[in-house]
Amino acid sequence: MSRTAFKAAIDDHVLAELRAIIGDDARVRPDRSSRAFRSRVPAPFPVHRWAEHFPDVVILPRTAVEVSEVVKLANRHGIPIVPRAGGTGLSDGAVPLRGGIMIDCKLMNQIHEIDLVDRTVTVGPGINMLKLNEELKKYGVIYPDDPASYPCSLVGGRIGTGGWSLLGARFGHTRDLVISMEVVLPTGEIVEIAEGGGRKLRKSSTGLTLKQLFTGHQGTLGITTQATLELVPRPETEFAAFFAFDDYMKAYATTGILTKSGLATLAGVVLFDEKKIEYLRRDDEAYIPQPESVRAVVAVAMYGRRCEVEPASKEIMRLGRSNDGKYLGDEISAGDWASRHDRYATPLHGRDLDGQAVLMSWHCEDAALNYSVLPQVREEWHAIVARYRERYGIFDDWGMFAYTSGSHKPWADYLVEIDVGIWEQKLNDENWAAWVSCKREIAQVSLKYGGSITACHGATREGDAELVPEEMGSAWPVVKAIKRALDPNNIMNPGKQSLDEAYE
Amino acid sequence: MSIFRLGDQTPPEPRRITDTVIERLEHQFEVDPDLMQITPQQDMPVWDSRRIFNARWDHLDWMHAHFADEVLLAGELSETMPEDHS
Ligand SMILES: Cc1cc2nc3c(=O)[nH]c(=O)nc-3n(C[C@H](O)[C@H](O)[C@H](O)COP(=O)(O)OP(=O)(O)OC[C@H]3O[C@@H](n4cnc5c(N)ncnc54)[C@H](O)[C@@H]3O)c2cc1C
Repeated sequence: MSRTAFKAAIDDHVLAELRAIIGDDARVRPDRSSRAFRSRVPAPFPVHRWAEHFPDVVILPRTAVEVSEVVKLANRHGIPIVPRAGGTGLSDGAVPLRGGIMIDCKLMNQIHEIDLVDRTVTVGPGINMLKLNEELKKYGVIYPDDPASYPCSLVGGRIGTGGWSLLGARFGHTRDLVISMEVVLPTGEIVEIAEGGGRKLRKSSTGLTLKQLFTGHQGTLGITTQATLELVPRPETEFAAFFAFDDYMKAYATTGILTKSGLATLAGVVLFDEKKIEYLRRDDEAYIPQPESVRAVVAVAMYGRRCEVEPASKEIMRLGRSNDGKYLGDEISAGDWASRHDRYATPLHGRDLDGQAVLMSWHCEDAALNYSVLPQVREEWHAIVARYRERYGIFDDWGMFAYTSGSHKPWADYLVEIDVGIWEQKLNDENWAAWVSCKREIAQVSLKYGGSITACHGATREGDAELVPEEMGSAWPVVKAIKRALDPNNIMNPGKQSLDEAYE
Repeated sequence: MSIFRLGDQTPPEPRRITDTVIERLEHQFEVDPDLMQITPQQDMPVWDSRRIFNARWDHLDWMHAHFADEVLLAGELSETMPEDHS
């Protein structure tokens, strides 16, 4: 039976059932504003078709049992479920495509247990990492998942997206930092998902490693209702150094040298290209006073014990100067590193073809690519954006960076980002289609060079989703079989990642 | 008692930094108002600009302290800028 398309009809009877499950009308919200506020994410959005993305009702559960009962009801009636955490995801994972019940997990924000002996913390999916770490600080430990959205994204969304951390080279990314989870399956059962058994074990060889399957599925396989996370000793020392180059290829070469340095405290190396510097120079305070000869920048950060970081910092200062790298000074190095959550991508304004400042939303392409292909991809991506900018006048190229991406292995994989501004007020069907086509061309370049469309945000939006079967290649039938087996009625975040094909 | 000082309200005349950027208060750069015709610029009293600027430093200090006990600096000057700017 084909289960590819349904737009939910939530009638009074279903609402009454939901109210009976939750037992608190304030947490069952069919009103327009509750739904409108949860219909988009910060990524470019078809604002001219906003209402098509409203959920039909928002539920704010507090327990796994409540989630389970709501999911069972949805499964019985064939109603879509969309899980949502912070709503900061940049690929529309938490945007309903077919209405339905939105499960907003923000009230599940408790710290259930801090275990300083076996070094774990168990939390609800609605907690934010910044808030969690404020609590953990007094114990001398940290949960080091540090996306640029650190102040606003939540653990549930980090798990849903299989997020990428700015400190991943040192501490790992979300999937490395989640030890086990409690998950409500699309059929409503509550299950413990780990490496094997054992809620606090980091490594097991018993059976299938299900934990990875339930990380990064974008809410298409279930809803995480509790997670047991890694606790890492809180770093004693932070060190950051920024180096300027007069040429991208020199900066690229130095990036390679730094990432292969073998320094264990290395938390991240970032290569900013000329367009990014141009963009920062034009109206951001960071680099304006820098001379024109600064055309690329490499940033390095380290965390650890002082006895490790201090000698390593001397080596970084030496390696960073390879290929004529010039140190940008202590103030920029420390200050810009501390600005890493907001500096490089999110001004929310760009320039039209006449150079006028206009309000724009932010697209952040986040391909995973190998070191060897970075220069070619950079050229092709900029050329694509320039072509669309010229033709439509509503796009702006905010430059690129490449950021170390392998967990504990900084040498060869990069999260490669091109930031593109989109003048949302100008969106109509034609301009939206142009954007989707631009987006798709960018993603196709990643595939052409043996990369992955996305290192962190997920491939749940137009322009990405239709390429998922191509990227998954011969594994695509396996993916479809898993989806069909776990979600027989296609209720979990339907329409995402081309997974409707599982039901054809 | 709150004190109202005119000088705290009205920003000084801008200094041009580049073709597209001006500076009214030290180290506080703004898009050239000529480029803000579609999206008009908000009028900001000086005290409010200063408040935001200073809060930025507080925020950065907070971020450092949030992730580690201490910040190690290379202790070297900028190699791209004259000393008074580095
Ligand atoms: C300024 C900014 C910077 C960013 N920087 C980064 C970055 O450095 N690294 C990075 O990885 N991302 C980054 N992002 C993207 C985004 O923050 C991440 O994708 C984050 O993981 C999303 O978390 P969220 O809580 O907002 O989730 P949401 O957007 O609410 O949801 C994300 C996905 O997870 C699913 N989901 C939500 N809760 C659950 C649950 N309990 N169980 C199962 N699935 C669930 C949703 O259905 C959706 O598909 C950035 C975003 C912004 C706005």
